[in-house]
Amino acid sequence: MSIGTSTTTQVQWHNISVRIPFANPNHASIAKQVIEVDRELQPHAVKRELALDGDVLVATFSTLTVRLARLTLNSFLENVDLVVRTIGQFADDAEQRSTSYSHMST
Amino acid sequence: MPKRTHESPLKSTDRPYLALGLEGSANKLGAGIIRHEVDGSSTVLSNVRHTYITPPGEGFLPRDTAVHHRQWALKVIEDAVTISSVSMHDLDCICYTKGPGMGAPLQSVALVARTLSLLFNKPLVGVNHCVGHIEMGREITGAQNPVVLYVSGGNTQIIAYSRQCYRIFGETLDIAVGNCLDRFARVINLSNDPSPGFNIEQAAKKGKRLVPLPYSTKGMDVSLSGILTATEALTYDKRYRPNDSPRNGDDEDCFTSADLCFSLQETVFAMLVEITERAMAHIGSKEVLLVGGVGSNVRLQEMMGTMAEERGGKVFATDERFCIDNGIMIAQAGLLSYRMGFQTPIKMSTCTQRYRTDEVHVAWRA
Repeated sequence: MSIGTSTTTQVQWHNISVRIPFANPNHASIAKQVIEVDRELQPHAVKRELALDGDVLVATFSTLTVRLARLTLNSFLENVDLVVRTIGQFADDAEQRSTSYSHMST
Repeated sequence: MPKRTHESPLKSTDRPYLALGLEGSANKLGAGIIRHEVDGSSTVLSNVRHTYITPPGEGFLPRDTAVHHRQWALKVIEDAVTISSVSMHDLDCICYTKGPGMGAPLQSVALVARTLSLLFNKPLVGVNHCVGHIEMGREITGAQNPVVLYVSGGNTQIIAYSRQCYRIFGETLDIAVGNCLDRFARVINLSNDPSPGFNIEQAAKKGKRLVPLPYSTKGMDVSLSGILTATEALTYDKRYRPNDSPRNGDDEDCFTSADLCFSLQETVFAMLVEITERAMAHIGSKEVLLVGGVGSNVRLQEMMGTMAEERGGKVFATDERFCIDNGIMIAQAGLLSYRMGFQTPIKMSTCTQRYRTDEVHVAWRA
């Protein structure tokens, strides 16, 4: 995680970057798609960018205040936690059948 | 009233359809699996619910409710799948509550729904919570074209179906009837377990005296917040006996908390019966369908029954399994729209705190 502050002409944006590793690129992609759907509640004060780097989900936030940086990161990590736990519980079942299907089709 | 001659737009199927429904718009977290059979009937395969119960005197706040849902979501879904003994792979779609409701709890459940949808490669269907209640009520009771009274902790609406839309005839102008009862339960420190409304209903059975309260129907609408304030004010009255102490001879002009529960119920339910009767007269229907958490209140069912009987009609109601928020109703409404070709692309699968019943295109009805 890296935190930096950059000064523009008028306002100061606080930047946070988080890298979250997943078991495989597919799970990282699922997490990105799931979390991306919900807009940030204050788009004028919080900019969010989600990207994939192989099996790593890279989240970059720019916020107007330190308080918003903390809140945004907190809720992002809570969302990641829920998605990761859901994947953890259901991925085996999901992947088992889908591989057996691909065997059947070949 | 002329008989509807249109055929149902819902095509008959050559195979059963399966849907998982996930609900979490308020303090109830539910998951259920429904199967639509080839012959047009439905089977409830599982219907699991976990309720976030707060201490007496406290309501549930969005933040804490979301934490509860996040904690229980996986267990509740797992149980629903296990009980139904179907595989997640056999589902046709995954349905979730899009709104209306509290933002944070809705979003928590939507996150899980999206993840499952991507993991198992199943289409998502976003469902209007109110339409879920109506469709489940229709399915369970078999009511054909009822006036629907939807009464719960967050909503109070009188609804009639016309031209593929559930139209809102009347509604509350301020707070919902369930909210009114729940908040009074907090005032007199009743338990929230299993639900404050249930405990009000039990206390009301012991009430003997009808204390006059404001009665405020306004055309097809009702106003409830003033009644709550008035009832609350009575708990500061010098005639109020909070601990239900037995009255002796010289303590006649008094009332207990049970009397207040009784009076509050009688007053607000009478208002609901009044606007329901007016809606029945408007559309010429003889059927009333009670849905939503307060719909499981036996006293409300009784009062509505008396009114309907006098009009030569009938009341349809369900028990708490289907009245109180549950996952199966989301599965039912979601599967109906899925069979009409509706899906929610993952990018569009947001939640919304405000989502009116009449915004939904009811494609599956004639």
